[in-house]
Amino acid sequence: MALIVRLAMWLLLLLSAAAVAGEGRVPSLWERLQGDRLQIHGFASVTGVKTSANRFLGSTRGGAVNFIEVALNASYQFNPRILFSGQILARRAASMSNGSPVLDYGLVDVTLAETVTGRFGVRAGRLKNPLGLYNETRDVPFTRPSIFLPQVIYFDKLRNMILSTDGLMLYGDLATRYGDLSLTLGGGQAVLDENVEWVFLGANYPGKFVPHGLTWVGNLWYSAFHERLRLGLSGITSTLGYRPGQSAPDLDAGQMQISDLILSAQYNAEHWTLTSEYSRLPLEWRGFGAYFPYRKSTGEGYYLQGTYRVLPTVDLVLRYEEGFADRRDRNGVQASAALGGLIPPSDYFAKIWTFGVRWDINPQVMLRADYARHQGTYTISTRENDPAALAKDWDLFALQIAVRF
Amino acid sequence: MNSVHWWRQCATAASVLLLAQLSAPPALLAQEVIVHPGVGVTTITTNEARLYLTLRLKTWPNGVPVKVFVLPDGDPLHRRFSNTVLGLFPYQLRRVWDRQLFSGTGQAPTAVASEAEMLWRVASTPGAIGYVESVPAGASVRPLEVR
Repeated sequence: MALIVRLAMWLLLLLSAAAVAGEGRVPSLWERLQGDRLQIHGFASVTGVKTSANRFLGSTRGGAVNFIEVALNASYQFNPRILFSGQILARRAASMSNGSPVLDYGLVDVTLAETVTGRFGVRAGRLKNPLGLYNETRDVPFTRPSIFLPQVIYFDKLRNMILSTDGLMLYGDLATRYGDLSLTLGGGQAVLDENVEWVFLGANYPGKFVPHGLTWVGNLWYSAFHERLRLGLSGITSTLGYRPGQSAPDLDAGQMQISDLILSAQYNAEHWTLTSEYSRLPLEWRGFGAYFPYRKSTGEGYYLQGTYRVLPTVDLVLRYEEGFADRRDRNGVQASAALGGLIPPSDYFAKIWTFGVRWDINPQVMLRADYARHQGTYTISTRENDPAALAKDWDLFALQIAVRF
Repeated sequence: MNSVHWWRQCATAASVLLLAQLSAPPALLAQEVIVHPGVGVTTITTNEARLYLTLRLKTWPNGVPVKVFVLPDGDPLHRRFSNTVLGLFPYQLRRVWDRQLFSGTGQAPTAVASEAEMLWRVASTPGAIGYVESVPAGASVRPLEVR
């Protein structure tokens, strides 16, 4: 663990030095790595998080630097039709993610047909799920609108379930006079981790979830007026099987159906961008045993976000989001009563105001600060919080430095 | 110093800074899209230019692979090229490149440091496309008309 922190610090230092050196006109080592066909890129970030109560990615009341992302990717354009690419990501987020390097994506992309107005192709391997505006690049600090993505849709407590799929995706792009259409459809096996149990079962039971059948994922995007307007529809549906462990007591060998549907809209002007997304998350639990409390629910989340570019290198973001564990029980009263009040109603919803500042010191180095005012704890994990001791109203403050090459 | 006076000074300084940053570059400065002579086209549409520059089209009609060269995001010529030729704000271009690069679905364009470097990289790379303020006489690149 300490090793990852030290590595990240060194990488940050090295990259910052390289970035500063790159300001002179001497091609840096990294620039030379970007060859004719082979490209190597990467990024690293270190984030300090302080909360007034509750824990989010290892935050404490005194503030803690527990959130670190380091990634290295390579791509090789074998010929104009065939691209190989892969990325290794190490992500340390307190007890939620231990910082071991994992294969984030690794794929071959084959363009089957290309004309001056469109293309059609297939990707195979470990693929990032193209959900909403941000999921494909959710771990890249430079592509996020704030330090943390809108949590009511892009849960950090449950990133792996919707992060990637081992499988195949077909894609097609078409540019017309009236706008661009882009379609992706795919299937494969969901990539899972322990957080899925914490979120959907409420604890880490002796057994584990395994993919059951195929996970389907797809999206449709329309963009017009020079990509100023972008409208999207994306979704995923997946079935997980629960395999009980050796030690009792455990749940029965149940099944869980998870789907997520996201509507996205964005308008881009020169100095500002307005973004809104809506998500619906239907869940169904079957056969986990008589004592298991959940059967069916439909999670819901939405946000409205405005970004204002004060300068080309400085922007401000303001966002309001709301999320509910079950849209038929928005104040969480029924869910709380079902567990005899053990978990407060405020753990079943979240209403969050976020204000953030981003400063790109140069093209390689970015600094960010976020302040978020939370009501409710739906977006944080029981893995790092005792659900009975959660504070309903809490604040979060985060500072981040990120480098890229 | 009383606080009202101090605030007024701050506000004046801030607005001067903002105006300096926000004022648009002179609209009359020209820019030329240039390609390697082996590319085989002399005219493309704005839509095609956008697809080539965002690396979504990877080959020229004659089958030669496309190689994109760009100046840094903050360069005035890059900003003008992006706005007037492609109809995209530089941050939109960056967003498309980053999404492709960091999801493994595409590569990034090659960044060059100056117009001089742009000229020789485009002249010496088959399939290259880039842009300059104006093409000097005798340069072995071909201007490309974008309609």
